[in-house]
Amino acid sequence: MRLLLVEDDQMIGEQLLDLLRAEGYAVDWVRDGELAETALQSQNYDLLLLDLGLPRLDGMSVLRRLRARKQRLPVLIATARDALEQRVAGLDAGADDYVLKPFELDELLARIRALLRRASGSAEPVYEHKGVSLNPATHEAMVEGRPVLLTGREWAVLEPLLARPGLVLSRQQLEEKLYSWKDEVSSNAVEVYIHGLRKKLGAGLIQNVRGLGYMVPKQ
Amino acid sequence: MTGLFRGLLQRLSLRHRLMLFLLGAVSLATMLQGFSAYRTALQEADEIFDYQMQQMALSMSGGQPGRPLSMPEELELIIQGWTAEGLQLFQPPGRAHLPQRAVLGFTNVVADGKAYRVLSVQSGGQVLQVAQELAVRQRLASRLAWRTVTPIAIVLPALMLVVGWVVSRSLAPVERVRRQLAARAAEDLSPVNAAGLPAEIQPMVQELNSLLGRVRQAFETQQHFVADAAHELRSPLTALKLQVQALQRAGDEAGRSLAQGRLAAGIERASHLVEQLLLLARQQAGAPTPRQAVALEPLCRQLIGDALPQAQAKELDLGLLRADPVTVQGEAAALAVLLRNLLDNAIKYTPAGGRIDLMLLQEGAQARLRIEDSGPGIAEGERERVLDRFYRGSEAQAQASGSGLGLAIVKSIAERHGAQLRLGRSEALGGLRVDLVFPA
Repeated sequence: MRLLLVEDDQMIGEQLLDLLRAEGYAVDWVRDGELAETALQSQNYDLLLLDLGLPRLDGMSVLRRLRARKQRLPVLIATARDALEQRVAGLDAGADDYVLKPFELDELLARIRALLRRASGSAEPVYEHKGVSLNPATHEAMVEGRPVLLTGREWAVLEPLLARPGLVLSRQQLEEKLYSWKDEVSSNAVEVYIHGLRKKLGAGLIQNVRGLGYMVPKQ
Repeated sequence: MTGLFRGLLQRLSLRHRLMLFLLGAVSLATMLQGFSAYRTALQEADEIFDYQMQQMALSMSGGQPGRPLSMPEELELIIQGWTAEGLQLFQPPGRAHLPQRAVLGFTNVVADGKAYRVLSVQSGGQVLQVAQELAVRQRLASRLAWRTVTPIAIVLPALMLVVGWVVSRSLAPVERVRRQLAARAAEDLSPVNAAGLPAEIQPMVQELNSLLGRVRQAFETQQHFVADAAHELRSPLTALKLQVQALQRAGDEAGRSLAQGRLAAGIERASHLVEQLLLLARQQAGAPTPRQAVALEPLCRQLIGDALPQAQAKELDLGLLRADPVTVQGEAAALAVLLRNLLDNAIKYTPAGGRIDLMLLQEGAQARLRIEDSGPGIAEGERERVLDRFYRGSEAQAQASGSGLGLAIVKSIAERHGAQLRLGRSEALGGLRVDLVFPA
């Protein structure tokens, strides 16, 4: 899953970036509203983690413009603005959730998982399909009730596919989930991870749709 | 005794004090009035009665013995007479026996424990004595005296009531103000309604209102400050929380060491913010600046010395370009804080290899402190706002460690010293130029 982190505070941004990456998310970090705008228009993100007090362009404006463009990705506001009106204004402007600084990391991660889950159309905390289950909270993968050890990258490829069975994701889309801007992308990285996953989970789970990409079939 | 009385008096209400004094004064005046009326009446009674006694004696001399004499009863005169042979001519009926002494003229005599006024006259061998008990005169005088005093004594309670009422009426607005003040909550600093107050008390209430206004303003400033501070503390606290979490999750030695380094920097940042907050709070507390002559040149040398290691670490050329022997009135410690903040800012925002110049200029009676750097400067539109607390310029936001308070502290100290703070663009170095102009 690919997240856009918009945070102007150097220390918070740098630490969140590392912690979110350690959770297996591909994260891009920008430090002002204008850059957030650019990033949102040039990339597909699964979630926007937005601070409100931003230089150049305020977080609320970023949010309003995003919704005006009909971009539907879930938005989680993480800010120090704690007044009731501000929280209401944030949610009314199109945010899906609101956490106050200083927040607990575990809570932030749980809210991110909940938003991603809801965006995938599922209320279940665990993605389960064809005997394969993924628990994003614990990062546990099971095949027929037996735990399987997945690497972070393998997880990052599998999760979006399993979250929406039947949906075809292109190789490029999967790469986007895997890497942030700074990472070096090797041309056949996705194929390598798909290969690894098939070995661990069985060949039938992930199907190749020629010319389009990969999917986990619905049935 | 007098101390006790004074203490008692001070504890009495204004109304009771007024009434007590009025009662005392009126009573004293009445007593004086009564006494003087008595004295005057007695004196006049003496003259009148003495004259009447003389007339009586005159009319009696040569009168027939034994014959009763008609005389006004209320005078209560006693008449007795003797012939030259000692024969009693008149015998006062059932009256006191006056000593039969023939001292001619008026004398005062005491007989049977009573005082008498006696007039003895001699005519044609007869001695005639006309006497009158002095108590008669005194009774008359005191009756007169009472008659003058009584009306006042009757009016006095009414007077007290009227005075009490007038005073109560006049002080009713004071009581109203008291009730207003007693009923209000601790944080209610709105002005007291001064309408209808006596002219003597109005200025006091006006002063009270102006004091309330000043307290309210200080209170609001403080509240804003606390709210801002609480808000601003959230970012470093968020960073600290995340850094601690990262430390807990660090899997290997390299990760742990990185997390520890970040946590240390986070703590450093939080403590710096708290320190700056305290500094600003102290500067804004509004305590009057102690007025001392402070020589700026040694102060600058000392602070440049302190900042030199920092500057050298960034390979900045930091120096005192010109140092007139400038002396300003103010507080050395606060001025040191001001200089340190300006130097810190210059060092923080000037890129490595840059240059920072200090100048002390005597311009007539004014003294100018100027700091210039070769950094990015502050855009013209932001020069006012960067002086607000917690506002961080767009360049400053690129830095993690700023508190947003440095220039607010500088501004606060400058204001307390009556110095003008101006930010501009350095012509010589291209970066920020800070000018502080101290008044003569």
